[in-house]
Amino acid sequence: MKPVAVTGLGVVSPFGAGVKAYWEGISGGLCAIRPISLIDTDGFRCQIAAEVPDPLGGSARRSRADRFALAAAREALDDAGIGRAERADTALIVGAVGGGMLEAEAWYWQRSRGVAVPMPRAVASCFPSAHADVVGSVLGIGGPRETVVTACSSGAASLAMAADLVADGVVPYALAGGVDALTRICFMGFNTLKLLDPAPCRPFDRDRRGMSIGEGAAFVVLEDPARARARDARIYAELSGYGMSTDAFHVTSPHPEGEGMVRAMREALGQAGIAPAAVGYANAHGTATPQNDRIEARALREVFGEGGLLVSSTKSMIGHTMAAAGTLEAVATVLALEHELIPPTAGLVNTDPDIPFDCVPRVGREIAVDHAISNSFGFGGQNVTLVFRRGA
Amino acid sequence: MSGQRVVVTGSGVVDGHATGVLSELLDATEARRLSRVCQMTVAAGRLALAEAGLAAGTKLALMVGTEFGDMVSTIKFVDDYLQRGIPGLSALLFPHTVMNTMAATTAIAVSAKDVSLTLNAPTVAGELAIARGAAAIRAGRIDACLAGGADEPPRFVVDTFRAAGATDVRGDGAGFVVLESLDRARARGARIFGEIIGEAWRALAVRPHGVGRPGHSPAIAAALAGAAAEPAEIGIVYTSANGDGPREEWERALLERALAPHRPPLRSLSLPAGRHAGVAARSVATAATEAGDGLALVHAVARGGNQIAIVVAGPRARAA
Repeated sequence: MKPVAVTGLGVVSPFGAGVKAYWEGISGGLCAIRPISLIDTDGFRCQIAAEVPDPLGGSARRSRADRFALAAAREALDDAGIGRAERADTALIVGAVGGGMLEAEAWYWQRSRGVAVPMPRAVASCFPSAHADVVGSVLGIGGPRETVVTACSSGAASLAMAADLVADGVVPYALAGGVDALTRICFMGFNTLKLLDPAPCRPFDRDRRGMSIGEGAAFVVLEDPARARARDARIYAELSGYGMSTDAFHVTSPHPEGEGMVRAMREALGQAGIAPAAVGYANAHGTATPQNDRIEARALREVFGEGGLLVSSTKSMIGHTMAAAGTLEAVATVLALEHELIPPTAGLVNTDPDIPFDCVPRVGREIAVDHAISNSFGFGGQNVTLVFRRGA
Repeated sequence: MSGQRVVVTGSGVVDGHATGVLSELLDATEARRLSRVCQMTVAAGRLALAEAGLAAGTKLALMVGTEFGDMVSTIKFVDDYLQRGIPGLSALLFPHTVMNTMAATTAIAVSAKDVSLTLNAPTVAGELAIARGAAAIRAGRIDACLAGGADEPPRFVVDTFRAAGATDVRGDGAGFVVLESLDRARARGARIFGEIIGEAWRALAVRPHGVGRPGHSPAIAAALAGAAAEPAEIGIVYTSANGDGPREEWERALLERALAPHRPPLRSLSLPAGRHAGVAARSVATAATEAGDGLALVHAVARGGNQIAIVVAGPRARAA
């Protein structure tokens, strides 16, 4: 793959708006998982999540997720110095799952109780594609526009798809990212699957009991490295390869051997033209469910061997932000390369003996690495691995 | 870009024109476990692969466009909770609330282990998926794919849209074309129905849910440029006409301006059974057939501005 440069970052996370707040939170090992305030949790086993704190900013007539997306997209474009003129020829790829469902649910709940309420504008934007239409329209983005839904790997898939468009010369710039707000459906569904820990999640811990959900948005600007250098843009890192594979095994469970994960990681390394030993850090999918962490570790061991690789899960601090996760974690990986500091796995006390890696427990690790990967895996066996190379 | 040529070697559509095929294409377990839209998706995928003579296997990618996903199951998941509380929640239904459920179940059914993407867009998702699939083959990223889409618009949602003033005619169904590189198709002796010689997708400057002015169409221009074709070579256009008057008028105006002074006949395959994301596969397959030794354009534009253009050559047009 022809590498593409990462020249802009934008984030709305459970630590608040902005890349700075996000990095301070995850590099400091802070946990933003708290009691849920957005939706009714009475009767459910788990009652916590990582919510984006107020104030949100933006028009209250827009869905919560649209407001996340707009804020993060704007920050990324501004960071990269992409003005109105360049945006007309910029691709926009958004990973999304829940769309504006939080508002649609509230309306539907009331309606089901016989309360005659007019349909709010946000309900018309309940589908995932709404975010791209809103961001594209408000920010004047006129290139190819796509919304990709690969469940929990959507935010990573969006970067891979955008990289293709830049590498193929279809567009000079691409804005790619993921967004999701908490929804009742997501909260109830994962509770029903008994995949949520009533306490903040503890990825890779021997005593882990499940995941915590979260919300947020992140976007990155991708462009040709030569173009970025020519315009003196700041290059945070290069997206040097990606791999996308499908398990074709089960609708919710990963392949027990991690076969699809291994294919995605090997494809990504192959595209990047590097050996496994060149990779110093893996931002793991690391959901903290007993099964997923074990299988991901197995796949990592298959590709990288035991030992050398540092592995951490930033979900331990911001929860699993669904479609936003792949991009938030890509940004964490890029910032780890940039700051020469690996964010920790918060809450990790006793590493599971089946996880044969240094999982950076509780405290970030100061170390410079040249190459890092970010793993994202979703329902339907949708595996995405991104490889980043430290910026020049 | 490696510049692979992209050919159509099969198609399969399951909707109001193809009733009765589900029971023949699904086994008893699938018929019991899968939601209706997933059943249609799996069936359409199998039809297309059978026509292409392509065995299910690991080097197959999936590009599934959809507007609604499995919203019928999503509404049932919610209704069960609202009626029965927490005990009403179904762990089996929950995965269907994520729009990639059709891709996931189809990948399992046909053992497709390469990249699988679900693309969500209002009314043009199928065309978008086919364009994305063609571009991936052209760039040498994938060898072959099922590309198309599926939809089952819930009655409640359609009624809500209608109450808000929507007039478009919606249908349910699924459809795919099999796309592969010309080299691979030739090597295995596949029948070639046509060739996708140019594809592009762009966003027009329109507010969400709105229609725009009859301005420039960068997607059409880029697709024609990619195909090295002139507007005058387009013998017929398959449009995304769907009963939405203002949107159709806009699409006609965009096409007139983009192809002027040439005015090829415009045809839509959406209206007889209602528009769903799978109709795109029927449009591309029909365009390949109708193009003969000429070219056809498959065009779609959505409220909100997403525009897709696919230039299709008949099997004799470019010595495919």
